[in-house]
Amino acid sequence: MTSHDVTLEWPDGRTRTVEVDENETILEAAECDGSVLPYGCRTGACGTCSGRLLEVEGTRPPNSERAGDGDADVCAVDDAVAYRRLPRALKDRHRAAGYVLLCIASPRADCRIEVGSSVHSELVDNPWK
Amino acid sequence: MSDASTPGDVEPSHDHEHHHEGPGYATPQAAIEEGEREELAYVMGLYVGTDVDAPDFVSVVDLDPDSDTYCEIVDRIELPNRGDELHHFGWNACSSSCHMDGLERRHLIVPGQRSSRIHVIDAQDRRNPELETVIEPEEVFEYDLSAPHTVHCIPDGEILISMLGDADGELPGGFLELNEDFEIEGRWEPPGEIEMNYDYWYQPRQNVMVSSEWAAPKTYYPGFDLEDVEEGNYGQRLHFWDWEAGTVEQTIDLGEEGLIPLEVRFLHTPESTHGFVGAALSSNIFHFWRDESAADGDGEYRAEKVIDFESREHDDWDMPVPALPTDILISMDDRYLFGSNWLHGEVWMYDISDPSNPRRADSLSVGGTFGEVQEVQGRELAAGPQMIQLSLDGERLYWTTSLFSSWDDQFYPEESERGSVMLKADVDPRKGTMELDEDFLVDWGECPAGPARAHEIRWPDGDCTSDVWQ
Ligand code: FES
Repeated sequence: MTSHDVTLEWPDGRTRTVEVDENETILEAAECDGSVLPYGCRTGACGTCSGRLLEVEGTRPPNSERAGDGDADVCAVDDAVAYRRLPRALKDRHRAAGYVLLCIASPRADCRIEVGSSVHSELVDNPWK
Repeated sequence: MSDASTPGDVEPSHDHEHHHEGPGYATPQAAIEEGEREELAYVMGLYVGTDVDAPDFVSVVDLDPDSDTYCEIVDRIELPNRGDELHHFGWNACSSSCHMDGLERRHLIVPGQRSSRIHVIDAQDRRNPELETVIEPEEVFEYDLSAPHTVHCIPDGEILISMLGDADGELPGGFLELNEDFEIEGRWEPPGEIEMNYDYWYQPRQNVMVSSEWAAPKTYYPGFDLEDVEEGNYGQRLHFWDWEAGTVEQTIDLGEEGLIPLEVRFLHTPESTHGFVGAALSSNIFHFWRDESAADGDGEYRAEKVIDFESREHDDWDMPVPALPTDILISMDDRYLFGSNWLHGEVWMYDISDPSNPRRADSLSVGGTFGEVQEVQGRELAAGPQMIQLSLDGERLYWTTSLFSSWDDQFYPEESERGSVMLKADVDPRKGTMELDEDFLVDWGECPAGPARAHEIRWPDGDCTSDVWQ
């Protein structure tokens, strides 16, 4: 079974590299490793488990900006992970900006992913502010 | 579904002379007169969506002013998993079963909104409830349902839960029925009766149920996105059901002024066909009622906007801020409608003696974006009033501050660092006034694992948002 090294990076600077099989999700592998990642539905509907792809196998990041940017490179995201089911919680703009649902995503390349609850809160802003 | 044919049972009658052996109270008036002052509250506590490595929990809060632990969380029933997002919950039995000998108001049915896991908690020992059974999400998904919301018991010991999505978190939602052993009985309604779902209330004596609409789970779970409003992904309809048949008889589109109709309440009087629903996004309250003369004498439900909260300008916000009335409640005597404007920071009470003309009685400006009171006992509030609960006698109104974890993060990001609070106002139903009780504060910011959010509130012996009468 092919596996890939997925490096999880928290906002406080902590990092952890987990070896993830191609048939397991990044969330499952992180849990086996004892890492605490946020999640909710585990079906790809809620976005609670969102991570953000920072780098795929040493290539440039899919997009250095946050959600909402237009000039993104969706291909790099699609090269990095395969989904078990439809990632319903992510809109096109989120996927283009490199957001990944770790509860249903399995790696297809070594990658670095920003994790933690703050990633989920980037998906939508306060529209009145 | 009805036990009216059971030998020996007495048909429900208007004067309620049927025997009262089961849970709850014979009438709403009996609840007011015989109900004791609330000494405990059960409150949903949650960590979902944060990095705190702990499951959500049911908080037991001491509300007895003579107790040493007044205003403290005296017990926390931790659930087995993280990620549930405890939200709304209910009893296995309420006053609708007051004629059911042998049935007890004993088990709390506590769904996880995000996980679709359903917990059954035995609260026979009111101060130390215990987890009894867990229905795992996979069992729920088998019925192509997810995202459990409102729990009501139905009068023969079974339990009905509104479900907002299908197994994938898309539309349509529906209703899941549990039997009295807390096993899934199946879908309650023929699939396809409705697309969107949220809250519901039933009035068995009128053979009617009303349900409201939020959105598909995949729409509201990640947070509130105006793009979804523009695309019509949020609800604006009320559905009136034949309660016995489980089929929709009438749907009322509330239009743009009725966007996101959330909590829906019939008056407590079982004969009444009047009720209210709060349209959160358009910040309006609608009155609905059955017009017997409509439809050539067959009768039909009508809905009309009766309260309109204006958006307010705020120096730090680009656009006028909507009030966002997220919860409403009717006092047990059906005299007052209470509500919370989560974004503005206001709890309010309207006299609904004439339900088609609610009259503003009083309000409190507290928390939120505009509240005059922004801290209690030196504790910053960090969010607006949200889920509300009223004592049976109508003299004490309590509220918590969290709406939904991802929506909290958008509008009140500090709440995840500070946690929620529970506050209280003393209400004078005779004068129609409210006063903030500054001595009362329950703080979820101090929980051992870290600051938690707090959501719906229930009393051990029935309350204004769960009890129904046959
Ligand atoms: S946990 Fe809900 S989308 Fe992953």
